[in-house]
Formats: sequence, structure tokens, C-alpha cells
Amino acid sequence: MGKKILVVDDDPDVRLFSVTVIEENGYIPLEAADGEQGMQIIKKEHPDLVILDVLMPKESGVRLFREIKTDAKLKKLPVIVLSGIAKRSFLRSQKALTEFGGAPVPEPEVYLEKPVEPNELADAIRSQLP
Amino acid sequence: MEIRKLLFVTKFDDLGFDALQSLLVLRKAALNHVVFVNVIEREKVGMHRGLGYQKSEEIKLRETANIRFIDWAETLFEQGMEVGVYIVVGNLITQVFESARKEAADLIVVGNARKRLIDHLYSGSDVIELLRRTSVPVLVYKPLPDKIEVLDRPFERVLLPFDGSPASRRAVDYLSRLGAVINQVDVIQVANPKDLKGDTSMAVQSLRKKVRQELDDICDRLSADGLKARAHVYIGDPMVEIEKAARECQSTMIALGSSSKTEWVERWLGSIPRAIAENSDLPTLIVPPPQRL
Repeated sequence: MGKKILVVDDDPDVRLFSVTVIEENGYIPLEAADGEQGMQIIKKEHPDLVILDVLMPKESGVRLFREIKTDAKLKKLPVIVLSGIAKRSFLRSQKALTEFGGAPVPEPEVYLEKPVEPNELADAIRSQLP
Repeated sequence: MEIRKLLFVTKFDDLGFDALQSLLVLRKAALNHVVFVNVIEREKVGMHRGLGYQKSEEIKLRETANIRFIDWAETLFEQGMEVGVYIVVGNLITQVFESARKEAADLIVVGNARKRLIDHLYSGSDVIELLRRTSVPVLVYKPLPDKIEVLDRPFERVLLPFDGSPASRRAVDYLSRLGAVINQVDVIQVANPKDLKGDTSMAVQSLRKKVRQELDDICDRLSADGLKARAHVYIGDPMVEIEKAARECQSTMIALGSSSKTEWVERWLGSIPRAIAENSDLPTLIVPPPQRL
């Protein structure tokens, strides 16, 4: 059975782009429109990889990433962050949350700033799901 | 209720990042989540003769808003705050309520630019309609290019008009939980000149004494919650006197409770909270009844 990749992004155009790349490379896509829905699907569908936007309604990618990486059962789940938010800001946000009493979290496995070319995303996926 | 999540409704010209930064003082009152809302009016992208639906225009407007929000969000994320965003096409009021419901927001912040100055901003009626229908407290911000210090510290000195009604008591309750943010509350009551009965100064002063006693009780209650509070009595037209009091107290914000009058009753009797929200130069915090249509 093919490996499952969850795309968490509130922009339907970006989801469509990512889903197309995922399918063309032989993986099974799953979709969520915000962090809250993303976590529900992670727990239910157990994807092998998450492609995560940062700025979304309800729960941002900053929080969802932190939830994944501080959960004993999920922390090994690789995450590709695909966002317009700069990597530096993302890392600073995680540092700030750690300073406010949160657990330290590692950097995302891959960080891609939007927009990306299809082959860039495909290479990033393959780097995590050989 | 704490202010944990704030809905920041902006068209960028009316409400900018400087206004949002001035509200970050609310972090002392538990604020940790800001949700940006930008509503693209349907007529800007809707059907035009010979053009149809302007999808490319919608994309342009969405991405323009997105670029601004990404910039703002980076600053907030780096401070450890949670940030969300809605960029939607539709009716302003409907979309604001929908976003507030989805996010369970504790406070809605909107701009109210004067139409006579810049006609492409929110119309006053949008803000009034929002205030009429909301069950979430609303902070109406005004552009104040000549009063930057007010925008810097909107919660510094709050003017609280009080008339003993359930609505004004609700505003007292709301402010009482913001002791970590507010420096001083000036509680005022505007007495009606018709109530000044009697032929002697003693008789007239008895009215002031009675009103003052009630206000002192409110101040004692606010003081018990850690707020510095002072009572003031004014006589005259409420709209005029509230503005006068705001000037004399050097207020940085006016806070009022609003009632659930029907639209018809309101049209006949008027609504002081909504008139202040629309006409005052100061940021105006409106605390509505909890349940409203």
C-alpha cells in the first residue's frame, strides 16, 4: 500500500498543487484546511509525512508542528513546512514558545518558502520518503 | 471572560499594524491569539458587464492582503503568539460574524474611518450594523494622525459612562477583569437637567450626591479588582457631556455597554453607545448583551 501524505493548508489552490505533486509521485494524498483538522486526520489516518502551511485559521502550523514534535507517538513523523512565512520567523516563534515554558522542538525536516516548483516539492517528499 | 483571542478586521487603510501593536498590551490580560480578517467586497470582483466574475482581480486582492498579513504574522509569531488569517470574499458583516463564530473570538477590533475623508473605507453603517448584531465585545478604532499617543496606549485611561442600567453594569464587569491593562477608569454619569428639581442649591446638590454615591460604589468595586477609578458627575446631553468628559479626563478610550433594543426602537430613541462609536474620535469599546440575533 502506498505511503500517505497529509497536506495541511487553508488555500485550496495550494492544496491542489501539493496533491497533484503527491499523486504524480505515487503517494496517497490527504487534505486538511487548518491545524485543528490536520491533527484529527493525523490521529485517524496515521500519514507517513505532513506538508504543513503556517498561517491558517483556527490553529496555525506553528502550533500543529509543536504538537507533533512534542507528542511521544508522533514526534518521528517528518514534516515539510511549505509557507510564505520565513523560516527564520518560524524558528524564532518556536524558540519564543519554548522560552514561555514549552518543550524544546527540533527544526522541521524540510522548510520550503512559497512559491515552489513541482520538482522542488517532489524532491523534498522523496528526501523524507525514500 | 478573558481576552485570549482577538479578531482584527482590517482593510489596511483603516486599521494598520500600529493599531494592532497598541493592543498587544492585552497580552497582560491573557491575549495570545490574533486572527486577521480581510473581507473583499463582492462588488470589487463580482460580475461586470462584459467581464464576468473577475477571478484575476480576486487573486490580486487576496495576495495583496496575504502579503501584508504574512509580514504582520511573522512579527507576532516571533513574540510567541498564535496567529490566524481569513481572507474572504463576501459581505463584511456576515464574514466577520462567521469568522468570530469559527474562532470563538473574545474581542472584535474594527476600524471606523470617516467617510467624508476617505470614501473607500468601511462605511459607518457597516460598523453600526456590526455593533447592533454582535454578541462579542467590539473595539472600534479611529484613525488619529494627530493623536499618536492615544493609539499607543488605548487602555491607559478609560472613560466609563454609567447610567445604572444592566448594559452599563456589564461594561463595569468587563473592565473589572482588565486590571492588568488599564491604568485608570473614570466613571461618569450624565444627569438630565430636568431632574434638577428644587428651589435651593441644597436640593439641586442632593441629586449630585445621590448620583455620586452610586458612582463611588462602582469605583470601590473596580478598586477591589485592582483598578484605579474616579467618579465624575456631569449634567446635560449625554453625547455632548461624554465627549466633554473624555477631553477633561484625557481619556484614551470610551467603554460602554449596549442594550438589545430592536432596530425599530433604536431608530426612534437612538443609541448612545453606537453614536459614540460612530462619532467620537476616541477608540470605543462596546460590550453587548451575551446573546443577540
